[in-house]
Order: sequence, then structure tokens, then C-alpha cells
Amino acid sequence: MSALKAFRAIVKREFFSYFVSPLAYVVLTAFLLIQGYTFYLIVLALNQPETPRTALMSLFFTSVFYWIFMMLISSVIAMRLLSEERKTGSIEALLTAPVSEATVVAGKFAAGWCFFLFLWLPTVLYPVLLSRFGTLDWGPIAAGYLGIALVGALFISAGTFASALTKNQIVAAIVGFVFILGVFLVGVFRDFVTDPGLRDAVSYLNLLEHMDDFARGIVDTRRILYVASTVVFFLFLSTRALEANKGR
Amino acid sequence: MLEVQGLSKSFYGTPAVEDVSFRVETGEILGFLGPNGAGKTTTMRMITGFLPPTAGRVLLADVDVTEKPLVAKRELGYLPETLALYPEMRVREYVAFRAELCGVPSSEKKARVDEAIQKCFVDDVASTPIGNLSKGYRQRVGLAGALVHKPKVLVLDEPTVGLDPRQIVKVRDLIRDLRKDHTILLSTHILPEVEVLCDRILIIDRGRIVASGTPGTLRHEMSQAPAVTVVLKGEVPEADAVLRQIPGVVRAARIGAGGETRVSLAGAEGSDLREPVFREVLARGWTLLELTPRQATLEDVFVRLVSRDAAAEADTLPGVEAEPPAPVPSGEVPQ
Repeated sequence: MSALKAFRAIVKREFFSYFVSPLAYVVLTAFLLIQGYTFYLIVLALNQPETPRTALMSLFFTSVFYWIFMMLISSVIAMRLLSEERKTGSIEALLTAPVSEATVVAGKFAAGWCFFLFLWLPTVLYPVLLSRFGTLDWGPIAAGYLGIALVGALFISAGTFASALTKNQIVAAIVGFVFILGVFLVGVFRDFVTDPGLRDAVSYLNLLEHMDDFARGIVDTRRILYVASTVVFFLFLSTRALEANKGR
Repeated sequence: MLEVQGLSKSFYGTPAVEDVSFRVETGEILGFLGPNGAGKTTTMRMITGFLPPTAGRVLLADVDVTEKPLVAKRELGYLPETLALYPEMRVREYVAFRAELCGVPSSEKKARVDEAIQKCFVDDVASTPIGNLSKGYRQRVGLAGALVHKPKVLVLDEPTVGLDPRQIVKVRDLIRDLRKDHTILLSTHILPEVEVLCDRILIIDRGRIVASGTPGTLRHEMSQAPAVTVVLKGEVPEADAVLRQIPGVVRAARIGAGGETRVSLAGAEGSDLREPVFREVLARGWTLLELTPRQATLEDVFVRLVSRDAAAEADTLPGVEAEPPAPVPSGEVPQ
């Protein structure tokens, strides 16, 4: 009960502290520019009669652009979460309050994830705009956003782990990017696996397929389970890293 | 109540704190004194559960910090030495954040935050971002954050360091005022502070407790050992070095100048320095203006305890002379 309260306090503080740093606005602006451009391309594509109408959302996620950008902003969002507190030393006051390392890590991660989701908020406007010019299937759109939220959780948790490893934010961002890239590439191995059973298993790690599924409105609980367990794993590692490094 | 039993910590095999045990009763202020690097901060970090001890245990209000950290830390307010607050937060926001973090019930939150802010005299800056405050204000904001949940035990690591004299007085008054509700452990290297604030003193050096007692008893113990002031006519630059060679002298420091040379000497227990000093001065042909026995101050106690170890170490290293203690400026212990 009190852990929940402390968790809420940490999330609140951390989330709002994003908005006093210039970095947040840089990320927000870049994100809106890129999403706006993507939306423009989608509208162009929709004007072509031969474009399939079934998977509007998947247009958002198939570009390489999208993935690189997602990885980049996730590592930037997560980089300061734990490293900054260790650098300034405020971690000492934080961890001598009656909160566990796990609560701190979970709170930090949740705040980073909330900021990630916040970035996507303005894009809800795009389908709303489109719906004025035709009928939209809202199911796949909702599923698409769920898919995005899951990918965000995965990336931010990997970035959180990187942030627990170093006091330097830049190093945390770079290491975080490498971790996130690793998470992404694990799934790409699918194309190198010949054994059909194994291939099936690895394809659940493939994030391209993940997004494609969700964009089509297929909410596969196995994919949700994969993301959830990986997030928990990264947060567990972050907690251990924080426990080991906090005094240094 | 705070109890520490056989606390030790080593970093990579090098002991930083060795077998430290003490007890602080409710309503008591214990001064934790030691030169920089003596292990004060490490000990405090172990007490607050921030660092796991290599051996020993800490009881905060009868709860073991290592076994039940979340329960024990409820009764702890800690002001770290390197006080880092969130510069972007406003004072009231920060104190409220600490209240939420420490599990203050929402119904009491506002009242507690107001109370802590008033108690620490930061109500006039309650809506200023912490980053814009002076060091003295920040220190008090940190203190407000540390006591907003009304902990039984307060651990303050160098609470007055870096403050101007007026702020020091304010913070000291505040700490004295807090003693009625809290058990306080306070670390410092400023001696007058200990004399003014603390009921009991613990002197730590090289990770070990070298003395403990009330300021009065410590001074008394030390007055068994002689301290004399020697005043010589004219400038005698080598005076302190020469007088230090006299058997029984533990410390010699030149103080002041201006036509005469003043040397403060501290001797080993049971020795009488007056005669050997007189003979030495005579042998050198200096003019002795004054030879005064002194009442030992807390400063003598401290310097003696700390330099006794330094002398012992120098003995084991032939050819290496113990660093001569610098003249002691007003109340500060040489670092």
C-alpha cells in the first residue's frame, strides 16, 4: 500500500521533470515532425486507388525510419532515469526513504513509458481527421496503439537498464540504444532459422511482425506475454544494478 | 533510539570502518566527530541502510535496517553530506514529494508539509524552485524533507557545512529545537558545534572509535595530560620543530607572530613538560617570556587522539616524519 504510494510519487515527480528539461521539447518536436511527415505520406498513399484499405495503421510502422526513430527516442527518454540521480547524488536521499530499489526502478520506468505514450497522444488526431473523409475501422487502430505501447515498454525498459549501469547520461543513451537494437535484432534472426518449430518461436520476438499483427487488429496474447516478461526481466536487472552501484 | 553494534565496512578488502558500536537514546544528540576521511559518512550511510555493512547491525527504533529496511527507514530522517535536491522542483513540491515517498497519509499531508516548512524557516521560499536557492536555504529544505514524516531518528551529515555564520546559528537553533521529538546523530568536523549542540561525543579516526563521552568528561580526561604555551622573545622560526623533539611532546604548533614566538605544546599523559622545555630554551639561548600551563580544550582532545595515531604510524615507517599539525585556526580541526 505504501509502496504503491511511493511508486505514484516517483512516477509523478519523474514525469513532470521531463517538461522542465529542454530535451523533452526537442524530442516532442522531432517526433511530431516525423509523424506529421509519415501522415502526409499515408494520405498520399490513400489517394491512390490501388492502395489496400485493410491495414491503415501498418503504413505507420513499416518504414525503417519509424524503427530507427523509435529506438533513438526511447534511449533518449530513458537515459536520465537512473543515471542522473546517481550523478547528482540525489539517489542517496531517495533510497534512504522507506522505498525499495525495485519500487524506484519501476517508478522511473513507468514515468519514462508515460512520456513515450504522451508523445503519441497528438497522433490520435490523424485517424480522427481521416474519419471525416471516410469510414474507419477503429478496432485495428486501437490495436495498433496497443502494439506501439508494448514496443515502447520494451524499449524503455532496455534503456532503463542502461541508465542503471552508468552515471553518464550520454553513455546511458548509447548503451541503451545498443540494448534496444539488440532487442530488435533478436527477432530478425527469424530469417536465418531453418528449423520450422524454432522459426515459429523466434518469430514471436520479431517486432516487425509484432507491429504488423497489431496494426491488422490481431491482439495476440503470446506477444503481450513476450513483451511483459522481457520488461520484467530488464527491470529486474536494473534493480540489481542499482543495488550494486548505488553507493559508487 | 538508535543502536549500532559492531559495524564494519571494507571496500575491496580495505577496512573503512571497523567495529563501531554505540547507542543514542531518545532525546539525545550524539556528535560524531572525526577528521575528513575517518569513516563518518560511511558509517552514516550504513546506519541509513544506503550501504550494506560488511559486519554488524544497526537498529533504528529497535528494527534492524538490513533485515527490514522498509519498516526501519520509516523512522529515519537523513540529511546526506552531499545534499542533492531536485533543482527543478519548488520547495513545497519537494517536501510534499518526500511526504508521499515516506508514506504520510494523504489526509495529513498538507498539515505535515506546512509544519515541516515552518519548522525549518523556509516558508518564505515555499514556491521558489530549489535550484534558485542559496546553500543555507537548500540545507534547510533538505532538513524539512527529512523530517516531514516525523521520524524517530534523525541522521545529519555535516548539516552546517558551507553555511555563512548567521545561517549556521539558525540551523543550530533548529537542531537544538528538534531534540525534543527526535533522536539525533550529527556528524561534523567543527568543534564548537559539538560543544554547543551535543550531549555526547564520539570521536572516530581511521574507521575506529577513539574516544567517547560528554564534552566535559573528554576534557577532564585530557586535562591529565599537560598542555603548555611557550612564548619566546623575537622571531624563532625553528622553535616548534625544536620543541617537538623534547621527549613527551605530542604536538607543537606555532600560533601567531609579531615580535614574539608563541608555541602551543601538548604532552603525553602523566608527563610534565615545564622543566624540559625550560632546559631546552636555556640550552638554545632563547629568551623565555612566558611558560603557561593550559586547561585542555576539546580541540586538544581531538588533535591528540587523532595525531596519536599519526605518530604511531610514523614510528613504524622509519625515516618518515609525522606531518607537523598546522596552526589551528578558530575552532576548525585541521583536515
